[in-house]
Amino acid sequence: MNELFRSAAQGRFGRKVKHERGAKIPVTLLTGFLGAGKTTLLKHFLSTPEGAGTAVVVNEFGAVGIDDALLRTSSDETVLLGNGCVCCTTRTDLQNALRSLVIERDRGVIPDFRRVVIETSGLADPGPILQTFATDRALGDLFHVELMAVVVDAATGLATLDRAPEARKQVILGDLLIISKADLCDAKALAAMEQRIRALNSRAAIVTAQHGVIDPQRLLESTVERTAFVAEAEHSDLVRSFVVADDEPIRWPIFARTMETLAALRGPDLLRVKGFLDVEGCTGPVLVQFVQHLAHPPVELTAWPDGKRGSRLVFITRNLPEAQVRGLFAAVKALGG
Amino acid sequence: MDAKNPLNAGPSAVTWNFKLLAQHELGGFGGMGEGMSITIAKDGRRIMWLAHESAPKNFTGVDVSDPRNPRVVVQTDLPKPYMRSNSLECSANGIMAVAYQTQKVGQQPAGMELFDVSVPENPKSIAFFDTSGAHSRGVHQLWFCDGDYVHMASGAPDFEPTHPNDDQFYRCIDVRNPSKPVEVGRWWLPGTKRGDNVVPPPRHPLDKGYRAHNTNVYPQKGDRLYLTYIDGGMFVMDISDKSKPQVVTHWTNSPPYTGFMHTALPLFGRDLMIVTDESTENNAEDWPKLIWVLDARDEKHLVSIATCPMPPVEAFKDRGGRFGAHNIHENVPLPTSWNSEDIVLGTFFNGGMRAYDISNPYAPKEVGAFVPPAPKGANPGAIQLNDVFVDERQIVYTVDRHSGGLYILETGF
Repeated sequence: MNELFRSAAQGRFGRKVKHERGAKIPVTLLTGFLGAGKTTLLKHFLSTPEGAGTAVVVNEFGAVGIDDALLRTSSDETVLLGNGCVCCTTRTDLQNALRSLVIERDRGVIPDFRRVVIETSGLADPGPILQTFATDRALGDLFHVELMAVVVDAATGLATLDRAPEARKQVILGDLLIISKADLCDAKALAAMEQRIRALNSRAAIVTAQHGVIDPQRLLESTVERTAFVAEAEHSDLVRSFVVADDEPIRWPIFARTMETLAALRGPDLLRVKGFLDVEGCTGPVLVQFVQHLAHPPVELTAWPDGKRGSRLVFITRNLPEAQVRGLFAAVKALGG
Repeated sequence: MDAKNPLNAGPSAVTWNFKLLAQHELGGFGGMGEGMSITIAKDGRRIMWLAHESAPKNFTGVDVSDPRNPRVVVQTDLPKPYMRSNSLECSANGIMAVAYQTQKVGQQPAGMELFDVSVPENPKSIAFFDTSGAHSRGVHQLWFCDGDYVHMASGAPDFEPTHPNDDQFYRCIDVRNPSKPVEVGRWWLPGTKRGDNVVPPPRHPLDKGYRAHNTNVYPQKGDRLYLTYIDGGMFVMDISDKSKPQVVTHWTNSPPYTGFMHTALPLFGRDLMIVTDESTENNAEDWPKLIWVLDARDEKHLVSIATCPMPPVEAFKDRGGRFGAHNIHENVPLPTSWNSEDIVLGTFFNGGMRAYDISNPYAPKEVGAFVPPAPKGANPGAIQLNDVFVDERQIVYTVDRHSGGLYILETGF
């Protein structure tokens, strides 16, 4: 707003918010391989009080199981579920689906919704979906990806993970890993599965679904940010994750320049970068997030989680070693100093 | 409610970016007015004082030290069934002013009473300021933060309006000696008092009257009164000489809107002003009743630049009762009040309580909504949230007009 109507309470990054999502509509991204049990989980979630007021976007053709519960309305693509949830089976693309949900809500064509669940095709690479929210400014302003949940089938999941790099990428990027069909296999197989996905992603929370049921609260909020970030061993596919932490405040231009350089040179290899920064001149933590070469607008929170200051940034990269990232930060810092 | 309306297919209750910590029905007397004020007792207890919308109760004090566990510490009765207290306000020195309005002109008692509430269990009357009269219904609304002056919308024994709906005007009462309140100034819209040498104003279709409503005064600009005048719009008044209030600016939206301007809240740090209407008709018959954002860089030339977006009227008009704007959190200049120039919180009757981010004042954005289910014994069949107050801990208090009492919430934005 330039200097017009300036608010003294706002910081460098606008109004300070209590939670990263601020007032955006939370989005839960539900991924997992074909037959892993995503639809069963989703149907149960929608039947709970927590699921009320949810808009569902099904990002695939031929989704089974939901249609029989649908009640068609005037729009071809938007349907109302029995409990008042909205379902949008996309035949075009995700952006159009999300935009029309908001427009139809504002026009009063569909009920108020307070949350979106995107159920992706089993083969979907979650990267481009995450990118959608960073590239489309209109959508990025309205929606916030709160949680990426990945469903893995306890019975056949190990084989799928060995065979399909897309499945491994989903697990690596997930915030919540849901082991489904646990009732169909023994404790030993379950433990093996847990060990396998833990090796791929040590940050994520892991829950086990019995008969397609998990605590609905788990699908609403990510608990990852509130737990300590833990660096992990090298993944397959040259994917690795590591944490860059610093107890000294960083100057924003130094951080911005470093990330611009990284994104320009190695954008495709920055699978996801996310964390808090202690930025000089800001009282609260500044949340930053990158998906490949794209940056989400930074957001300053009102308070530090647990009252502990300090930058903590998780990198999930492909063929980009930790030392190179650290070296770049150090070099830019030295130049800027 | 129209079952075929797709907007009614979903659950009517919404809690978005708020967390309900507690609801208190106040002993079955949960029909609340528009007086909400917090004092801190000598022993540290935090007491929320609430005015009741109508008799038999006068006011209730609720210990909200633990917002998850509110407890009523005192509840008082009105002496007459035709009275309503509706409005109250506490000053930092532990004195509470309560407004008394009667159903008809000429009834008594009508006026304003001061209480010492330093011992919350035992409010002690200090003085009663009588404003009853042949053409007066007493006091509807008051503002009292500095402990020195009560600014109020009141009738008077010596005031005969040109139209019966125009009986309440601005009065400033000096209570520096609280046992002897004295009027030091008054102002009415020229033409509304019999004997004025001005033609009375034209009536609006709903004819809610040319009367004072809110009378806000802030220390940031102590020589200004932000006076709303129901069907007469809003006035910024110069009260540097309290005995002679002078009009600085007049702003109105009606006609073509349907009158009943309710609150004017200046945001001094940002040169903005927030102005609200009040919805008074059931089933949204007076829609739209809005929260307006004004460019106040030049107080003599106020410009409306936006309104806060409302949910679709089709989804709410048939739920029962009123739907539209009413009270907002007013940045009360006391240490127990939250002060924000970026977030506006308002109540919308069956539209619940909503929070707006006005970081960009040209495009206010809804950032939170609380529409509870119809409370027990709700005559209109829906919630009718009436007033909202936010304390310095950013705990939000909102009240129902009919039966739901007090709702206490945490914000998530």
